[in-house]
Amino acid sequence: MKRTRLFWLVALLAVLALALSACAQGQQGAQPAPAQEEQPAEQAAEQPAQEAAEPPAAEEAAPAQEPGATVYKIGVVVAITGPGSGLGVPERNTAAMIAAQLEEQGGVTGPDGVVHPVEVIILDSESNPDTAAAAASRLINEEQVDVLVAGTLSGNSLAMVPLATEAGVPMISMASAQSIIVDPDTGETREWIFKTPQTNEHSARWQAEYLQNLGITQVCHLYENSGYGQDTLNQATQVFGEFGIEIVYSDTFERKDTEFPQVVSVQGAGCEAVVVGAIPPGASMVTAAIKDAMPDMLVIHGHGVCNKQFIDLAPDAVEGTVLPCGKLLVAEQLPEEDPQKPVLLQYIQDYTAFTDGEPVSTFGGHAWDAMMWSVEALASLEEGMDLAARRAAVRDYIENSIQDWPGISGIFTITPEDHLGLDYKALVMTRIQDGWYTYYGPELWE
Amino acid sequence: MRLLRSHRNEASLATLALVVLALGLFEVLQPGGRDVASLTGDVVTFNTLVRIGILTIVVVGLNVLMGYAGQVSLGQAAFYGLGAYVSGIFTTRAEVFGLPGGLEGAWWWPWLLMGVGMAFTGLFAYLVGRPILRLKGHYLAMATLGLGIMVYILFRENFGFRTSTVNLTGGFDGLFDIPRLRLGSWELWPITRYYFLVWLAALASIAVALNLVHSRVGRALRAIHGSEVAAEAMAVDTAEFKVRALVFSAMLASLAGSLYAHFQAAVSPGPFSFIGSLELVVMAAVGGLRNVWGAPLGVALILAIEEFLRAKGHELFAGIGSEAEPVVFGIILVLIMIFLPEGLTDGLRRLPRLWQRRSGTPAASSEVTS
Amino acid sequence: MSVDAEVQQFLRKRRPAHQARGQQIAWAGVTLALLAAILYLGSQKNFGPLQYAQLVLDGLRGGTIYALIALGFVTVFNVTGIINFAQGGFVMLGAMLAVTINDWGALAQWSPGPRLAAAVLAAVLATTLIGVLVERLTIYPARNAEPLTLIIITVGVYIVMQGVALIVWGTDAYSLPAFTTLAMRDRTFRLGTVIVKAQSFWIWGVTGVTMAVLYYFFEHTMWGRALRACSVNRLAARLMGIRPDRMSMLAFGLAAAMGAIGGIVLAPATRPVYDMGLSLGLKGFVAAIMGGLVNPPAAVVGGILLGIIENVGAGVTRAGIKDIFSFIILIWVLLFRPQGLFGRQQTVEKV
Repeated sequence: MKRTRLFWLVALLAVLALALSACAQGQQGAQPAPAQEEQPAEQAAEQPAQEAAEPPAAEEAAPAQEPGATVYKIGVVVAITGPGSGLGVPERNTAAMIAAQLEEQGGVTGPDGVVHPVEVIILDSESNPDTAAAAASRLINEEQVDVLVAGTLSGNSLAMVPLATEAGVPMISMASAQSIIVDPDTGETREWIFKTPQTNEHSARWQAEYLQNLGITQVCHLYENSGYGQDTLNQATQVFGEFGIEIVYSDTFERKDTEFPQVVSVQGAGCEAVVVGAIPPGASMVTAAIKDAMPDMLVIHGHGVCNKQFIDLAPDAVEGTVLPCGKLLVAEQLPEEDPQKPVLLQYIQDYTAFTDGEPVSTFGGHAWDAMMWSVEALASLEEGMDLAARRAAVRDYIENSIQDWPGISGIFTITPEDHLGLDYKALVMTRIQDGWYTYYGPELWE
Repeated sequence: MRLLRSHRNEASLATLALVVLALGLFEVLQPGGRDVASLTGDVVTFNTLVRIGILTIVVVGLNVLMGYAGQVSLGQAAFYGLGAYVSGIFTTRAEVFGLPGGLEGAWWWPWLLMGVGMAFTGLFAYLVGRPILRLKGHYLAMATLGLGIMVYILFRENFGFRTSTVNLTGGFDGLFDIPRLRLGSWELWPITRYYFLVWLAALASIAVALNLVHSRVGRALRAIHGSEVAAEAMAVDTAEFKVRALVFSAMLASLAGSLYAHFQAAVSPGPFSFIGSLELVVMAAVGGLRNVWGAPLGVALILAIEEFLRAKGHELFAGIGSEAEPVVFGIILVLIMIFLPEGLTDGLRRLPRLWQRRSGTPAASSEVTS
Repeated sequence: MSVDAEVQQFLRKRRPAHQARGQQIAWAGVTLALLAAILYLGSQKNFGPLQYAQLVLDGLRGGTIYALIALGFVTVFNVTGIINFAQGGFVMLGAMLAVTINDWGALAQWSPGPRLAAAVLAAVLATTLIGVLVERLTIYPARNAEPLTLIIITVGVYIVMQGVALIVWGTDAYSLPAFTTLAMRDRTFRLGTVIVKAQSFWIWGVTGVTMAVLYYFFEHTMWGRALRACSVNRLAARLMGIRPDRMSMLAFGLAAAMGAIGGIVLAPATRPVYDMGLSLGLKGFVAAIMGGLVNPPAAVVGGILLGIIENVGAGVTRAGIKDIFSFIILIWVLLFRPQGLFGRQQTVEKV
C-alpha cells in the first residue's frame, strides 16, 4: 500500500512539474514585456502623467505600429460554457475573428494617423451572472479595457451593468432584454450601456401582425425557463394586447426537458396557435412535441431560434414554422438595394472562412455589431488621452456617431434616449421551407 | 477578558488580520503604482479578495456544521441566497410589501435588513432543522440537497407568482440596482472600503466560530460527531446542539448573502443552485473540516485556482481557451481529495511528519480520526 | 462503517400495531387528498381521461429512464457505500458516444440498422470501460477516505467528464435516429388524442431486458453473487476470498453500463447535450432514495413513480415548478420512510 501511495505522489509531482513548466513557458512568451515596459515610462515624460499608470504593452509588435502608441483594449465577456453557450460560442468566434483581422491590419488608425494595436480579451461568463460580474470587474480594473462587449444573456448583462456604470466604462450588451439599456423603475436610459440585438418587443410585434393577418385571437405561449424566455412572455403579453390577441395559456419548459406535459394543457386550452419563446435545443423539442400531438397546430417562434441547430434537431417538425429573424439568414434573398446586404454577405464569408465552415447565426452578428462599434469608436480617438477620457470618448462616439449604420442586426441610429437604435423592421418574417429559412414578408402573406 | 481561549488561535487571527490590513492598505496606497493584483501577476485581483472574504463567512459556518457537528449540508447555498434575497428584495422593492418608499433611501435600512435576514434565515433553519437533523449521513445530505434545490426553484420561479403580477425575485434575471451600503452619508464604496467591511465580518465570524468550538457547545458538538449515542448517554441534548449548529451556520450564510448582494449590486438565482451548494462544500472540504482555519484556506485556494485558470487559461491551452477550465479544476479537486482527504489544514499540519516518514518511521504516519 | 450497519442505523424503531393501523389510515387520507387536488387542478384546465392518460404515459417513459439511472446508484452504493455523483456523466457519455460513432465517417457505407446497433454496443462498452477507469484512478486510491471525501471525488469526476465532453462535442445538441424508423422522425401510435412514440416501447423494452439480465447476473453467476455478498457484508465477503476492491471496480463498470444504456435509449427522444447529465443524475438519485437506496427492484418502481408524479404534477400546475415535486417527495420519503417506499421497517438499532 505504501508503494502505491508513493506512485501516486510521484504522479502528482509529475503533473505539477508539467503545469509549472507550462507556466514558465507562458512567462517566457511574455518575455518582451520588460523591454517594452520602458517605453510607456519614457512616454510619460512628454505625455500626460496618467499614461504611467497604463499597463505595459505586452503585445507582439505589429509591423506598422509606431513606437509608444497606446494599446487599446476591448474586453469581451460571453457565455462560452453553460446554458447560454449556444449563443455565446458564435459570439466568441466573431470576437476572435475581428481580433485576428485587427492584428493583421496592425490595429486601428486614429484621426492623427497614429496606429494603435488593439488587444481583444475574451473571458467566459459560464452563463453565470456571478462569474460574469467577476470577469467584468477583472477587465475593468486589472486589464483596464477601453470598452466592454459584454453579456450573452440578459441576466449576465444586468449583473455587469452596475460595474460598468460605476467605473464609467462603455458597455455593449448582446442580450435581448430592454431593461439592460433602460432602467425599468425610472424609465431612464442608462448612460454607459448600449446593446445590439433586436428586442423581444420587435419579435412580438411581427408575431402579432402575422396572427392578426390570419384572424387569430387566442394563442398559447410556451417559453423556456430563462431570462430570455420570461422576457418573450412579458413582451408578448403587452404587444398582443394592443392587437386584441389574448394569451389564454402560458407555461415554461426546461431546456433539457424530455417530456412536455404543457402540450396536454395546450390541447385543453383551445388556442389557435402556439407562440414559443425559446432557443435550441428546447425550442426544437417543444415544436416536435406540439406537432406530434397536434399536427395542424400553427407554431410561431421568436428570433431566438435563428440558427441552423434549430432546424437540424427536428427538421420535420419545424418545417413550415413562421418566425421573425434578423436578415442574416436570408441575406441572399434580400433585394440588391438593401444597405445591409453587402455587410451581411461579407460577414457570412469571413465567418465561415474563419471557423472552417461553421454556419452563421444571428448571435454572432450581435457580437459583430458590438465589436465594430467599438473599433470605430477607438479609431476616432486622438493619441494621448488617458484611460477615463478614452472611455468617455468611446461612449460619446457610440451615442452620437452611430447613425444610419448598416450592421448585421439592422440599420442602427443611436440617440441619447435610444441606446439600441433599431425598430421592429430590423427583423424580417421568415418561414422554414425545405429545411432552411426563406423570406416571408407581409407582401407574401395570404 | 481574552478574545479567544487559545494563544495559537489568537496569534493566527492576528496574523490574518494583519495580512488583510496590509493588502487593503497596499491597494489604497498603491506604492510604486502597483496594486494588489500586480503582486500575483494579475491572477488574484482585489475583487477576488473581497469574494474570498464573503465566502469565508459562509464556509466558516459550514465548517462548524460539518466538521464539528458532523452534519453534512448540501443545501447551504439556500441560506446564503435567503440573505441575499432579503437584502435585495427589501432594498429595491419595499413598496410591494406596502412599506413606505422612503425606507429604500435611508442609510440604516440595508443594515437593519442584514439583521432581519439573519433572524429570518436562522428561524427558517431552526424550523427545517428540527425534523431534518434527525436524519444521518447520506440521508441528511440528500434531504439538505432537496431543500436547497427547492429554495433555489422558489427564487427562480418568483415564489410561484407571475412576474407580471407580483415581482419579488425578478425570476431568472434576478434583482439589480441594489444600493451600496452607507454609514450616514459616507458610502462604503469603492471596493477598497467595502473590502475592509467584508473582512471585518469575516474575521469576526472566524473569532466567534473559534470561541464556539472551544466552548462547552463545541465539545458537545464534537461528542455528537464522534458518537451520537454516546453523547446522548452523557446527557448531551444532541438534537438541540445539532439544530443550534445549523442555525449558526445559516445565520452566517445569510450575513454573507447580504454582503454579497450589496457587493454585486445584483442578485440572481444562479449562485444559489445545487452547484453553488456543492462549491461551498468543496471549499470547506478542501480547506479541511476539522479546523475553522480550513474555511479561509479552502475558499482562497479554490478561488485562486479559478482565477488562475481564468487569467492564464487561454495561454496554457491555446485553441480551447476557457473550455479547458472545468477539466483542470475537476482534476485538481480530485487530486486534492485523494492526497489530502482531510483537507489543506491537515496537510499543512502533517507536513513535518511527512519528512519523518521518508526516513522510515511509519509509526506516526496516519493519525486516528474519529 | 459497513454498509448494512450504516443502513440499519438509519432505520427507526418499529411502532406498535395500533400505530401502524393509524398510519395506514393517514396514508390513505393523504393519497385521496392528493388525488382530489390533482383532479381539481386538472378540471381547471379542462383535462379529461385522455389528457391524464397522456400525462401518465409520458411520465412512465421519463420514469423508466430515471429507473435505469437509479439502478446504477443502487449498485454502486450497495457495494461501496458511495453516492456516485458521476452517474449522470455516464448517461451523457453513453448518449454522446453513440451519436458520434453512429455518425463516424468510416461506418458511412454500413446500412443504418447495423451501424446504429454497432454504435450502441460500442458506446456501452466504452462507457463501461470509462466507469472502470474512473474507479481505478479516483475511487481506489482514496478507498479508505470518509464518505464525504468520496462524494466530493465523484463530483470532481463529473466536472471533468462534463468538461471533456464540452471540449470534444462543444455546446451543440446532437441527435440519434429513432430505433424503429432509423430516421429523425419517429413513428407514433395514436389512440384518440393519446400518442405514444415508438421509441417509448424501446425504452421500456430495453429497461426490462436490462433488469432481467441484471437479475440473472446477481442470482446465477459467480461474479454477481460475489457482488451481492460484498453488499451484504464486506468483511465476511473478504474472509471468503472475495476482493472488495475488485467488486468496487465491477460495480462502477455495471453502473456506467446502465447509465450509458439509459442515455442511449433516451437519445432519440431528446437531443443529447454535454450537460444533460446533472439533472438526470439527480432525478435518478431521488428515485434510488425512494426505493430505499439498497433495493434494486424498489429503485425501479421508485423511478417510474417519480416520473409519473412529476409529469402529472407539472401537467396540472405549472411546469416551472416541476422539480419541486421530486424534491418534496425526496424529503418526505427521507423523513417518514427512510427505508424506502416499499422497504419493511426493521427493528434493529445498533449502537
